[in-house]
Amino acid sequence: MTAVDAPAPEAVPDDWRAPTLSDAEYRWRARRYRFRTVRRAAGFLSPYLIVWGVFLAIPAVWGIFLSFNQGGLIKGDPRVFVGFDNWTRTVSDSELRTAVKNTSIYVLIAIAVVFTLAIFLASLLNHYKKGSNFYKVALYFPLLAPPILGALMWFFMVNFDFGILNLIKRTVIGGDGIRFLGDNPHALLTIVAVEVWRGLGFWVLFYLAGLQSVPEELQAAAKVDGAGKWRRFRRITVPTLRPLLLFALVIAVIFNFQLFDSVQVLTDGGPRLGTATVVWFIHKRLFKFQDTGLAYASSIGLLVVVLVLTALSFWLLGKRRQREA
Amino acid sequence: MAEVILRQLTKHFGSVEAVEDVTLRIPDGEFLVLLGPSGCGKSTILRLIAGLEDATRGEILIDGELINFKDPTKRNVAMVFQNYALYPHMTVYKNVAFPLETARMAREEVAEAVQRAAEMLEIEALLKRLPEQLSGGQRQRVALARAIVRQPLVFLMDEPLSNLDAQLRLQTRLELMGLHERLGITTIYVTHDQVEAMTMGQRIAVMKDGRIQQMGDPTEVYDVPANTFVATFLGAPPMNLISGSLERDNGQVSFRFEGYELAVDPATSVIAPDTLEEAVGEAQLGVRPEHLTLASPDAEGLPGVVRFLEPVGSDLFVSVNVAGHAVQVRMPPDTQVSTGSNVRLAFDPARSHIFGADSQNLRS
Amino acid sequence: MARDVTTDPATLEEAPPPEATDDATAMAARLAEAGRAKRLNERTRMILAYVVLTLFVVIAIGPAFYLISPAFRDSVSLFTYPPEWIPSEPTLDNYRFLFSSTSYVRWAINTLIFAGSTTLLTLATNTMAGYAFARLRFPGRNLLFFVILATLMVPVAAVLAPTYLTVNTIGDWPIIGNWIDIDTYLGLILPSAVSPLGVFMMRQFIETLPDGLYEAARLDGAGEWRIFTKIVLPLIKPALVVLGIFVFMLTWASYLWPLVAATDNEFRVLTVGIASLKGQFVTDWGILAAASLLTIVPVTIVFLFFQKWFVQASMAGALKQ
Ligand SMILES: Nc1ncnc2c1ncn2[C@@H]1O[C@H](COP(=O)(O)OP(=O)(O)O)[C@@H](O)[C@H]1O
Ligand SMILES: [Mg+2]
Repeated sequence: MTAVDAPAPEAVPDDWRAPTLSDAEYRWRARRYRFRTVRRAAGFLSPYLIVWGVFLAIPAVWGIFLSFNQGGLIKGDPRVFVGFDNWTRTVSDSELRTAVKNTSIYVLIAIAVVFTLAIFLASLLNHYKKGSNFYKVALYFPLLAPPILGALMWFFMVNFDFGILNLIKRTVIGGDGIRFLGDNPHALLTIVAVEVWRGLGFWVLFYLAGLQSVPEELQAAAKVDGAGKWRRFRRITVPTLRPLLLFALVIAVIFNFQLFDSVQVLTDGGPRLGTATVVWFIHKRLFKFQDTGLAYASSIGLLVVVLVLTALSFWLLGKRRQREA
Repeated sequence: MAEVILRQLTKHFGSVEAVEDVTLRIPDGEFLVLLGPSGCGKSTILRLIAGLEDATRGEILIDGELINFKDPTKRNVAMVFQNYALYPHMTVYKNVAFPLETARMAREEVAEAVQRAAEMLEIEALLKRLPEQLSGGQRQRVALARAIVRQPLVFLMDEPLSNLDAQLRLQTRLELMGLHERLGITTIYVTHDQVEAMTMGQRIAVMKDGRIQQMGDPTEVYDVPANTFVATFLGAPPMNLISGSLERDNGQVSFRFEGYELAVDPATSVIAPDTLEEAVGEAQLGVRPEHLTLASPDAEGLPGVVRFLEPVGSDLFVSVNVAGHAVQVRMPPDTQVSTGSNVRLAFDPARSHIFGADSQNLRS
Repeated sequence: MARDVTTDPATLEEAPPPEATDDATAMAARLAEAGRAKRLNERTRMILAYVVLTLFVVIAIGPAFYLISPAFRDSVSLFTYPPEWIPSEPTLDNYRFLFSSTSYVRWAINTLIFAGSTTLLTLATNTMAGYAFARLRFPGRNLLFFVILATLMVPVAAVLAPTYLTVNTIGDWPIIGNWIDIDTYLGLILPSAVSPLGVFMMRQFIETLPDGLYEAARLDGAGEWRIFTKIVLPLIKPALVVLGIFVFMLTWASYLWPLVAATDNEFRVLTVGIASLKGQFVTDWGILAAASLLTIVPVTIVFLFFQKWFVQASMAGALKQ
């Protein structure tokens, strides 16, 4: 383009430099312009926020309020404000205390067993890679069935008359069968076994993923240095897994603390409260409509425990990120 | 087609002043190059015009309309990104058609427009491919086609050639200029490559630290750099700068350093006559390598010792040590000179520059 | 395992070369023997490892196989001793009963409606919310995100009563109460579609898409919705599949909420229905086995086809956090 078509810049008067808007107007319009992101965000967020708000956030807050009340779940049973009564009674209620005790025992044993087995199997699979895909898939299988169905399968396995475990016991050891679900502490241990069976595949894959993130070179370098297997495991594998382990522990506690499905279907808390757990207790009190106040309060107790553990897991995760960075 | 005006445009990212008080006017159809080192705020200016960033202060006008508070979707500017930003899941055809389909253009019209753009950029054969099946140069063309297909008011290009190899860069440079000539769309082209800037820009705005240092057509910016930054940023090798001082003696102003004295002739306007009076103090003398010649040690000029010789085929660059300064001289390739020899550097004072204590060129 | 001293690099360096005085052939023989022993040792170990692994696989899938025999025989014959593994009179009576005298089909349909809708709803809401958190710079977004994320682990049981009350209360309202109530599909589905895990996952995933794509699309004139549907959704398909499988698996397996929210047989889902087949005092074992078997077989088949996605989905829950 030549100077004939477009006037040379110098020839243009300087008045184009003067601003159009006053400062105040500029600021006001800038603010209004920025606000458009709020409108858009509202559009994208509202479907989730409505569902989340109405069916999770509000109930969670309402639950705190409920914990100072008694009744109100069904028409004929009006809600009564009882102050701190529920809370004082949570400490002394023997059924709830049994439930907390059972749940804690269950959590301790189940996690100890499942983690030990999972780390053991994961290291095997990490070392013996041939056919490992088949083993992974097969171990994962119990997770496919809903917990209820898993529990029902074991209902057959531990049956007093035709359960395979008792058939084996009778033929190999002799004597009568074991009442896996009818005696204490057998019942709780059976529940532990069922849950370990169900969760094992997940944790094996979890630790396998962790183990495979251990740099191959590190292992090889250690091997060249002549470090023995056990030494390599302790010096390389364990340190890399440790943050993962802590995090997994917290997550596992959170989930196992909510044990309900298999208890409800296999023993319904029995025998003699031998498998009563916290969630089983909450459900029973709420929907058998007996002393709902205590269930309201223990729900909040459960909520607090889980939230604290969640905060802990986030903190651990943060530390892991920091370490990785 | 449109005229673009930026008024006191400012953008801060926290404490980073990415763009500071930029005022400029780009007439309709101009090809303006924003030139500056990396991090000087070039991309930010483009993003402000496009609406991808909101200005901290200042106004942006396209064809007289204030567009600061207009959504980027409605500004009708097109941008070619450095990494092309093609939609990876769409074929080339879909990529180019996307802006038109967004504008709800009829299907046949879309096909026609895409076809036209594809022809212009010679990518008809690629229309069915996915971006991952294209070479860098082809992607570049697709990005260009997507930008021109809806005939934007303003064309913004952010270092579009920097991901291409040297050969392709040269070719694409020419094609871009041809494209601009055909379409006549106002274009703002960002680069840190001075050769691109000099060859492509109708005007160049040289930037540093968020501010425009100088604006003008390429020869102007090269011949009369406004300050030492522009002087050294343009030209390879850059302008030689020698620190010294301006002194006044009986009304005669002269540049002095290390016992050498250069009288400033008011007629050469190396220093603007109206500022000649107060121009005293620290200063730098600037001479481009091509304006220096080697002379025998007994001739007039700056005394120095030859340190290095760099023959580059077309020229011979001679590095001369002048009182501790490494001064580059461009000589014809057949010049007879050897390292270690004493020489004098002669130059035409009218083609030299004197920069004041604030680094500004004292020439008016 | 005892610590092998000779493998310690420190001692290796200090110790003189082993048996330096012996002649070369004797040493070579000894080395070969040691090598053979070691290899044998390794071989036994490998066999042992595979035996252990196989044992666990048998335990993992065995219980499902243990259902086969009872499912195809008269329950009474289960109690004969010694046990009869392969039923002498195999029968489909249990299945006939299941389809004619229980609501198994109804439960299965309900489960599909329940898990399918929950999955679709979760995918839609979570992806949109994830997009907003990843891409839209609105004030307060970090705080809001944190508040939502804080509810990630809230157990169903902990909010069971207030959620039940909420649904019940809405059920008393005019018009909307016809749709959302205890013993309605929506009353069952909506409280199951609240977990923010997907919001979090989607936000993470959408953030990894290059900024340039959004910016290019915006300059091409596309508004948020068009960018979301035409650019973002196609590019996050893998994440959608993973989240979809994860949510579906979790939902159809869920028990506690359906147990209280869908008591009416018309809305009952499979987990609750099958559990109800196990009577309080007497159980018809054959029918229970038949129903359980019938339920896990299709899932297993689907799983075997898409196992990679499944595993990824289950890991997504734990590792993506
Ligand atoms: N989104 C942002 N946040 C913070 N600082 C930014 C951002 N974008 C650019 N900057 C800063 O602004 C300055 C100018 O950046 P840019 O315009 O990209 O430079 P150029 O394109 O000239 O290399 C740089 O210092 C850069 O670090
Ligand atoms: Mg840039």
